[in-house]
Amino acid sequence: MARFSSIGGLARRDLLRAGFGSVILGATGLGRSPFFSQAAAAPAAKPGRILVVVELSGGNDGLNTVVPYGDDAYYKARPKIGIRPDKLRKLDDHFGFQNTMSGMERLYKDGHLAIVHGVGYDQPSFSHFASMAYWQTAAPNRGELYGWVGRMADAMDPEGHNNYVVNIDTQQSLAVRSRGHVPLVFDDPTKFVRSGFADEASPLKLLAARGHGANEAQEFMYGVSRSALQAEQLVRDAWAQYRTPVDYGLVRFGLERVAALIAADFPTKIYYVAYRNNAFDTHVYQADVHARLWTYTSDHIAAFVKDVARLGRADDVVLMAFSEFGRRVQENTSQGTDHGTAGPAFVIGAPVKGGQYGKVPSLTELKQGNLVYTTDYRRIYATAIQGWMGYEDPSSILRGEFDPLPIV
Amino acid sequence: MDNKSFVRGYQNVLRSPSGPARWADDLTPITVSDWSYDFAAHLIERAGFGGTPEEIARLAAMTPERAVAYLVDYKSVPNDHLEPFDASGVWDPGLRDFPLSRVAATRRAERTGEALGVQVKPEGERRLQPVVDRFFYWLRATLLETRRLANWWADRMVATAHPLEEKMALFWHGHFATGEEKVRDYRKMEQQLALLHRQATGNFRELLIEVARGPAMLVYLDAGQNVKGAPNENFAREVMELFTMGVGHYSEADIREAARAFTGWIDDDLAFKVDPAKHDDAPKTFLGRTGNFDGVDILRIILEQKVTAEYISAKLYRYFVREDISPAMQARLGAALRDNDYEIAPLLRTIFLSRDFYSEPSFGTRIKGPIELVVSTYRKLGARHLPGIPDLYVVSRELGQILLNPPTVAGWAQGRAWITPGQLLARGNFARDVLFPDILNFTDPNFNPGAEIRRVNDRILAGMDIREATIERGPGEGGMEGGDMTMANVIAGAEDFNTRYGSLVGFQEAVRKIKPIPRAAAQFDLSLAVVSAGAKTAADAVDHLTIRLLRVPVDAEVRSALIAFLEKQLGTGDLDRAASYSERPLRLTAHLIMSTPEFQLC
Repeated sequence: MARFSSIGGLARRDLLRAGFGSVILGATGLGRSPFFSQAAAAPAAKPGRILVVVELSGGNDGLNTVVPYGDDAYYKARPKIGIRPDKLRKLDDHFGFQNTMSGMERLYKDGHLAIVHGVGYDQPSFSHFASMAYWQTAAPNRGELYGWVGRMADAMDPEGHNNYVVNIDTQQSLAVRSRGHVPLVFDDPTKFVRSGFADEASPLKLLAARGHGANEAQEFMYGVSRSALQAEQLVRDAWAQYRTPVDYGLVRFGLERVAALIAADFPTKIYYVAYRNNAFDTHVYQADVHARLWTYTSDHIAAFVKDVARLGRADDVVLMAFSEFGRRVQENTSQGTDHGTAGPAFVIGAPVKGGQYGKVPSLTELKQGNLVYTTDYRRIYATAIQGWMGYEDPSSILRGEFDPLPIV
Repeated sequence: MDNKSFVRGYQNVLRSPSGPARWADDLTPITVSDWSYDFAAHLIERAGFGGTPEEIARLAAMTPERAVAYLVDYKSVPNDHLEPFDASGVWDPGLRDFPLSRVAATRRAERTGEALGVQVKPEGERRLQPVVDRFFYWLRATLLETRRLANWWADRMVATAHPLEEKMALFWHGHFATGEEKVRDYRKMEQQLALLHRQATGNFRELLIEVARGPAMLVYLDAGQNVKGAPNENFAREVMELFTMGVGHYSEADIREAARAFTGWIDDDLAFKVDPAKHDDAPKTFLGRTGNFDGVDILRIILEQKVTAEYISAKLYRYFVREDISPAMQARLGAALRDNDYEIAPLLRTIFLSRDFYSEPSFGTRIKGPIELVVSTYRKLGARHLPGIPDLYVVSRELGQILLNPPTVAGWAQGRAWITPGQLLARGNFARDVLFPDILNFTDPNFNPGAEIRRVNDRILAGMDIREATIERGPGEGGMEGGDMTMANVIAGAEDFNTRYGSLVGFQEAVRKIKPIPRAAAQFDLSLAVVSAGAKTAADAVDHLTIRLLRVPVDAEVRSALIAFLEKQLGTGDLDRAASYSERPLRLTAHLIMSTPEFQLC
């Protein structure tokens, strides 16, 4: 039986009641009507490979995610919040996932989930904003105007096609900021509509489609406006037509919207979503919160992989998930953990050679109580750019040589 | 200067002439011969939330010094028409030291027989239910009261005679960001908000020290977890990284030492306290100085650093003037702030009188943040108060800026970060909701507990017992792991209490107590406004609306399209002939204007 996808508990009829799902034109023309963009984006070429980047913000505690239950040092450092082996989903003799990560455990056992241990960079920053900015720009400890995804888009698509990059968010991420592309950024597809009365349709389109601004700020605004104009109807239609039996879990941070666009054959090559607002910043009484965060995250990611397979695109989609840093090895006195350094990253999908990559950082040879990283995060980016998307010169995007990992 | 004359003079006024480009970075004060309606409009837009043509004309009639003084030295301007916040009275002393989680609350109740000022039942079913009900009551009550507080503040922004006070309070709120979602106590937010108003254009040193010791910030940055022998660095880090110096001007060692100095800082309900048992009073070395520093000493040392005054001045500059600040300007403003002993008002006066402020790069290049957009829209339309429809919280959420709930301690990213394709559409839709509020379909979001609790409510009302009423049927076959859903039901319906039922009961009790937000639409009259300004034709009306609403001119093509649209709606180009029905067509035209990219700029 077909089930309707829903956002945050609203059933489909509530969406329609909200007025944005259908065309209502009364005799007086005073209904509300979504406006049709003038020229749809060029229809998708032969569907190709897609990269989905998932940002887990706040500094996820890697040691309580990929738990090294085989290492005594872990329990010594975490007498209160260390997770006992019988409470874990064991991956092998040494590591286990939290009990709530059933979806990701299944992906690992099916060989579709790669764990990269000890991911970080030199002179790590303990600031959320700085470290996340370094991950988003692939420029650690440097200022950099554009994001790595933005630069990847510019390199792979010099003409700057519409909707090449999609960022599901209320604000554009630095990661997708680009010189030549206007990333399509939206959050709620049902609200991605320029509402107005029938008579306003034509002038509203005119006002949105104009060319040149008197200054940079105006130029920027016009670019965004044009992007909205051409994407508006496409996004709404994609969402309205989308049906899935898959349950995306209790916290839907965007992958169901990505799936809707993939189902609608959007030309997008890179999607960027985030579990936002430093949700993973577990300084205090971590156990319950962290377990819940991973229930939601594991459910959501596993659902997406399942849904993509249902759409017949399993071989085309790879997802990577990361956090801006891990946390300290020793628990703090509030049964939480403080900002740390290296942590695990995940690469997930049918095309992935699952397993574990990278050298496991030592829990005892620490630097001021923190893990020493063993894999530079830009190697994961190189893996995505070259190994997956097939662009042969990742060093121009990453401003340095980083060997891809043999994950895809 | 009579604004009627501007309706005729389209060519002059709608070019919004700024000062020349070479005025950039020049802090020399402008002179009275430079002063104009456009300069006054620019000033009131930046130093406040914009104004009606009448308000702008009044400023334009003063000298620039008097106009700036009128805005900066606002304490001499009467503001008694504003009401203090009318609390609902949802707190009582039993809610002191509210536990961090429902689990902590029920654990405390199991151990001691009571929690949150409520006792465990001696016998019977669900003995801990009263505690759970109370827990959810407070979560909902403080959340709703905070929304009322946000409404009160936004209404103040619309109605105040001290716009700079509110604009600065908003700036400080984004700077010293705290969110009720974590603080979980509207009283602490209210207390901090009062402080931000008191010191809005006051002294940064005093403001910093009081904010750091304020309960809202102490809770938000886990200060209470920072104890001797186990310092929690969150507070120290954010104070230095975000509130004073910025990354790169201190080391990790400085953070650790500063954290030691802040140990023992706790909130004693609404008061600041240092717990001597938890305070590390041994010597610390911080930014090259050594001593038995406590937290205030650390703040004073930070304020002695050159970078602090520059960091704050630069942030103020970017907020009021433009994004790009030259290193020379930053150094000069920093020095000015330091020389004035961290008094804010003199710095603002310098900025608002400077040629740089009125130079070409400073005109029409700033993207309004959502709250500014909302408030300036109401002010420019002539509304005296914040309407209840559309709902401020719903609007804030869609536009991406919720008062008293910033996304993180870094506050809100400014400028271009406000604008995405989705955001641009949302802003146009907000304008439509202001001009054509959909009262028929309005439902109060504060009465919406979410689908799950609604279901429980429906079942209880239908006579089901609590256990049956609170079992969630999951997506079932084909959905996610059935096991996990069942676990959630087990937890929710645990023997000694039922959390879903507690959620419902708590919610109901909270909405019973909370004073309702009045749901009136904004009252304004566009036809009166354009006719009072002397408009006789549709073209006049379009020109007047454009002057009224925009700080950036529209080109001739757009102007023609707007005039053609209005004439078509009126059925004539003669405004007098259409006088009896022109309000709706004028509002449609205003919606078009407010949907333009230009409307987002000031």
